[in-house]
Amino acid sequence: MKIAVCIKRVADSEARVKIAADGKRLDEAGVKFGINPYDEFAVEEALRRKETAGAGEVVVFSLGPAAAQETIRTALAMGADRGILLQTDAVPADGFETAKALAAELKDGGGGWDLILFGKMAIDDYNHQVGPMVAELLGLPCVTAVAHLEIDGAKGVAEREIEGGIEVVEFPLPAVITADKGLNEPRYPALKGIMAAKRKPLETKPVQLGAGSVEILSLALPPDRKEGKIVGEGAAAVPELVRLLREEAKVL
Amino acid sequence: MDRGAGSTEQFVPARYQAPLPLEQLILQDGAQGAGERMELDVLIVGAGPAGLACAIELARLAKAGGKELNIGVLEKAEALGEHSLSGAVVNPRPFRELFPDLKDSDFPFRAPVTKEAVYLLTGGGQWRLPTPPSMRNHGNYIASLCEIVRWLGGKAEELGVNIFTGFPAAQLLVHGQAVTGVRTAASGLDREGGQTASSAAPNDLVAKVTALAEGTRGLLAQAWMQWQGVGSENPQIFALGVKELWETKRPLDRVIHTMGWPLPGDAFGGSFMYPLEPNLVALGLVVGLDYRDAELDVHVLLQRLKRHPLFRPYLEGGEMVEWGAKTIPEGGFYSLPERRWGEGVVLLGDAAGFVDVPSLKGIHYAIQSGIHAARAIHAGRLGEYDEAVNRSYVVSDLKRTRNMRLAFKQGFVLGGVQAALMTLTRGVFPGWRYKMKADAEHPRSTPGLRPGSADVPDGKLTFSKVDAVFKAGNATRDSIPSHLIAKSAVPDDVARFYTHVCPAGVYEAVDGGLRINAPNCVDCKATDVLGPRWTPREGGSGPKYKRM
Repeated sequence: MKIAVCIKRVADSEARVKIAADGKRLDEAGVKFGINPYDEFAVEEALRRKETAGAGEVVVFSLGPAAAQETIRTALAMGADRGILLQTDAVPADGFETAKALAAELKDGGGGWDLILFGKMAIDDYNHQVGPMVAELLGLPCVTAVAHLEIDGAKGVAEREIEGGIEVVEFPLPAVITADKGLNEPRYPALKGIMAAKRKPLETKPVQLGAGSVEILSLALPPDRKEGKIVGEGAAAVPELVRLLREEAKVL
Repeated sequence: MDRGAGSTEQFVPARYQAPLPLEQLILQDGAQGAGERMELDVLIVGAGPAGLACAIELARLAKAGGKELNIGVLEKAEALGEHSLSGAVVNPRPFRELFPDLKDSDFPFRAPVTKEAVYLLTGGGQWRLPTPPSMRNHGNYIASLCEIVRWLGGKAEELGVNIFTGFPAAQLLVHGQAVTGVRTAASGLDREGGQTASSAAPNDLVAKVTALAEGTRGLLAQAWMQWQGVGSENPQIFALGVKELWETKRPLDRVIHTMGWPLPGDAFGGSFMYPLEPNLVALGLVVGLDYRDAELDVHVLLQRLKRHPLFRPYLEGGEMVEWGAKTIPEGGFYSLPERRWGEGVVLLGDAAGFVDVPSLKGIHYAIQSGIHAARAIHAGRLGEYDEAVNRSYVVSDLKRTRNMRLAFKQGFVLGGVQAALMTLTRGVFPGWRYKMKADAEHPRSTPGLRPGSADVPDGKLTFSKVDAVFKAGNATRDSIPSHLIAKSAVPDDVARFYTHVCPAGVYEAVDGGLRINAPNCVDCKATDVLGPRWTPREGGSGPKYKRM
């Protein structure tokens, strides 16, 4: 099986981020970066598919700054075979620009992919866009937010957790899949994997992206949460709590 | 031990401490239970300043000799620097030796020390003291140890060193009397230690030489010394430092140290406040763990300190952005292991006790010890490591101040007078060695009722331990097995003592015993010194310090 996985370098979800002076991007100083968590599910799924098939190749793609090489190395340490970084100073706000660059690269590499995997979204921009856009550009079927996947020959069956139930989708290969939480439990890189990752091929290709049609005007932090109120302790506090829930919060 | 009025009960913490589990820590090489086995030329345990300096010097010596050495560094933190914490005012000397082509301005320091002040605090005021010679910091730099470690790690990786973050060393592999490597901690176990879907077996890493650079109160270093019967003239003693990083509204332009309040007269310690940037201030309180009062609580004292008129104006209106805690080996010269090497093994940095308390420094000794160890490893003669360190400023500095910390065992005033005499005579006074006991051997007592101190944290200037641990970035999985070895039944006053020793709220005294909230642990090792033993847990657990 020949599988491509597209991953993104994002700020750690625990990082305390600050907005840069221009008000339009994050101040990256001192912030820890890593692989987008949904993309980890995609990498893990690719590795399992290859292991089940007994043969094939898992190639990791990313678009981002030079530091994204580290992110690709993480996927290589998990077990991917090689990586390609489309290097650009900044990831564009318009996901379509990213999708065009990735689609061109996926086609250039000779195509022939059985599966192209993405995370269902990046936790920094919440766009959910690049995977489906790449599918469209390559003329491939796309199933998003997949929580369970079965592949049988040239046919796949995916389960999607939708509001109140599970949707089962059948699709032909090759296809683009975006991974949801629950698809699998990503492995930690093993010691030998970390050693081996240093010697795996990682190609860096500079790319020039268009301006796109989306512009970030401003970023703002969410407002501080209002302080909680301690009504009291024990049974004696219950009447007051009920009164407040009824009269102030108006939830009863 | 004379007790003041009002004391009720007395106990000796050592009586309630489990012994070091040597049978678990020393493992015959080849024992079953490991997943992968990896062979390296040199294995370094701990990616701190000592371990990384050793890796850098060694990789460079090998390259210069036209050889490729396979060097691996194991680190328990998820990423470089996340378990490193120090003040810190750093002496740049070994950086210049390790990087002769770089200038001071290339090093990962924040700012040179230009102004400094030492104060003796009282509850409501302060007296400026002349700066003791050992505490003069001109020529030194304010820095974050996290940032130093990340920078050194980058340099090591450029030289081809393999750094394995998220892999704690849990057991020492041995063959005969020789150390052959380590076994890492298993990961992904459930609360009872059972397997789960994401379990990973431990790994064995074997090497010709293992350098133990685990940092303060290193577990494998302790195990090796006990297993090999390597002693020291005095037992090692420790202090606990609790530190906060603040973004302030009011700039600070100098390094500040204080003594006195809020510590009781029979406790040794003091506070520091350093500007990393004019409006980014590191603030901490360090207290020797030989204090007598069983209810002394370093975290709570630091919260009290911040309300003092010397500190409050800087902090008020600002924001506490990080919190952390760590022990410091304070024994100095007489607590150094009689040898810091054995067959297949060397001990570096804090794990060997290379800290000088009077100057409040250890980072440059750690780096220097790493450099010397690398040279001895490269020469294939580990004994030369001890000789080189003994000849270097590392040991001569510690020798000059050999009795200074020990003098303070007799209290602040008498200690201060003697320390002054020692400084004047460059360590010749008193002409003998002050003997001392291990921290856990000092009796503690619980005072009776004391005048109520309203130490309720306000969440703005002062913080509870739970809020503090959150600011350490601690996101340890809730369902990991407990990594702390406590005696199952301890008397109530001992249980309460543990709640005060631990700055991270790991222990709760409940009816008839101890509740252990193990995931709170930030690996400071304070209770390893005075109570429940610490062992490593799965990789990436514990704090995630950024600029500590």
